[in-house]
Amino acid sequence: MNIDVIILSIATLIGLYMAANIGANDLANAMGTAVGSRALTLKQAVIISIIANVLGATLAGGYVTGTISKGIIDPGLLMDAPNNLMLGMFAALIAAGLWVHLATYFGLPVSTTHAIVGAVVGFGIISVGAGAVSWGKIISIALSWVISPVAGALIAGGIYYFLEKRVMAAGDPYAAAVHYAPGMIFFVMLVLILSFIFKGLKNLHLELGFFYTVLLTIPCAALAAMFGRKWVRWQVHVKCELGPNPQGFSPAECLFAQLQVLAACYVAFAHGANDVANAVGPLAAIFSVVETKSVALQVEVPFWMLFIGGIAVGGGLYVFGTRVLETIGKNITEITPIRGFCAQFGAATTILICSRLGLPVSTTHVLVGSVVGVGLMRGIGALDLRILKNIGFSWVVTLPFTMVLAMLIYKVLALFLL
Amino acid sequence: MRLLISSLFHRSPFEDLQKHADKVKECTRLFREAVVCHIGQECKRFDLLTEQVARLESEADDIKRNIRNHLPRGILMPVDKFEFFDYLREQDKVLDEVEEALFWLSFRPEGIPAELAADIHDLIEAVIPPIEKLPELVTLAREYFKSRSEKQRTRMKSLIRDIRQHEREADHLERELKFKIFTTIKDALVVYHLVRLVEHIGAIADHAQNASDRMRAMIAT
Repeated sequence: MNIDVIILSIATLIGLYMAANIGANDLANAMGTAVGSRALTLKQAVIISIIANVLGATLAGGYVTGTISKGIIDPGLLMDAPNNLMLGMFAALIAAGLWVHLATYFGLPVSTTHAIVGAVVGFGIISVGAGAVSWGKIISIALSWVISPVAGALIAGGIYYFLEKRVMAAGDPYAAAVHYAPGMIFFVMLVLILSFIFKGLKNLHLELGFFYTVLLTIPCAALAAMFGRKWVRWQVHVKCELGPNPQGFSPAECLFAQLQVLAACYVAFAHGANDVANAVGPLAAIFSVVETKSVALQVEVPFWMLFIGGIAVGGGLYVFGTRVLETIGKNITEITPIRGFCAQFGAATTILICSRLGLPVSTTHVLVGSVVGVGLMRGIGALDLRILKNIGFSWVVTLPFTMVLAMLIYKVLALFLL
Repeated sequence: MRLLISSLFHRSPFEDLQKHADKVKECTRLFREAVVCHIGQECKRFDLLTEQVARLESEADDIKRNIRNHLPRGILMPVDKFEFFDYLREQDKVLDEVEEALFWLSFRPEGIPAELAADIHDLIEAVIPPIEKLPELVTLAREYFKSRSEKQRTRMKSLIRDIRQHEREADHLERELKFKIFTTIKDALVVYHLVRLVEHIGAIADHAQNASDRMRAMIAT
């Protein structure tokens, strides 16, 4: 068999392993609150995750990616050694995959982006030297340990505070929820459409200026809000008034459950757009080296790679994450649709705003912050702040751990293969 | 594989608080039956009923300990943790007083003087409604802390007012009964026994009201 085919097959398998781990860790977290509040059943959550994630990856994912993710090291330094780059990407994928796997096993929500960045830094230091690493980027990642959760907590907590005062405490919470529903759908859609444009369509080379973006977004969101209001009322009527309503939702909760489904779709879509690249980016770099026998500064990520990456992330959720989601659904009765909506919508909004402001944020970190934000507003039955210590520790450890692990794996691989 | 973000969510102590309130309510039937039986003087089941109340009290104590042992520092709740513990302590004291009242009854097997039997019975009937309302109060609280609905809060306030009203009536009966004891009974030993007994019975309603006051503080806006 041709050696290239063997290399590409192994690379694909390792890429899929990383993608599956991303699904088990990241996506399980993103969908957890929707299952916990019973807005979605386990099966629905898995199906929505897979579909939205694949759509996010293929429609809004990174078709063009830097050879070495996130510009952490300059690929120019590896121009003469394409094989080193290939081995480095192997080592990075394995190291990041193992770390995320380990973190998932111990129940720690870590950032898969930070895992891959740490692994690439490790490979960079050992192959080209510490001077080649862009340490400014590393500092910005360290900043995200603080910025992401704080921003998530502020926004999600703020949304919860507003809804508690204006909707839940109202004499007729359903009427108040219906009154505010168009506004909420407008904002959900605004966030959704803006993210598509800023994060997704950018990759499809649709260069829209700020003015045109706003011009396009506001009427679309307003239209969606008009139809959305009718849609949620119809859903409440069908699911909670005519239907069996097994969750025992009040009409207001039922309405928020529908909004939460929307927010869950968005989170899964955004995840597909942003995080599938963590697994397929290095894979694309390996394919590029094997095919061209040289180092390119940027590589095209083929559609099929994003597609199977998206499927693998969804598959990871299905295989490894189902039990986690099942446990969440059974054990956490404390997440109501309103709390879940606040956490998810808060997280989605934070990610968009922070990325527009150029602040480095991680989906997982923002989600943890959002949940804590709702808790700090006294919105959660019992929030275990002690767990935050472990989570914070795992965030800080991610980068050095994957860095050292990638170095070791690279050394071992180089010993046998170079 | 363990939970991810969900491990941030701790089990809400309100579920166990509900179980505790249910145990407290469960004892009212036994309490009433035991007192009626003791007043009748031909009671063979009194010891058995007292034992059953003691068993309920011990089970409620286990629940109370379980709640306290599983709410370490670092757990954030919709209410202040110490207000919550205060509520739990008062709810638990209701059951302690029921048990204590039955013990005091048992100290004098001769029973209650016939001329006071009806009054003691009335006092028992007056202290039972506040206890019976506690589980409902906890149920409403659980819903309120989830929904934060003003309607729910209004219902809770009305229930707390009811409990206060019942306690006032029980207090009034307690005072009248003490007066009657001192005017009708001449034996100092019997007076001492009856006064202590009446105080213990009256304290049942007092603790139920204290519990409801703590709950009122928890839902203060």
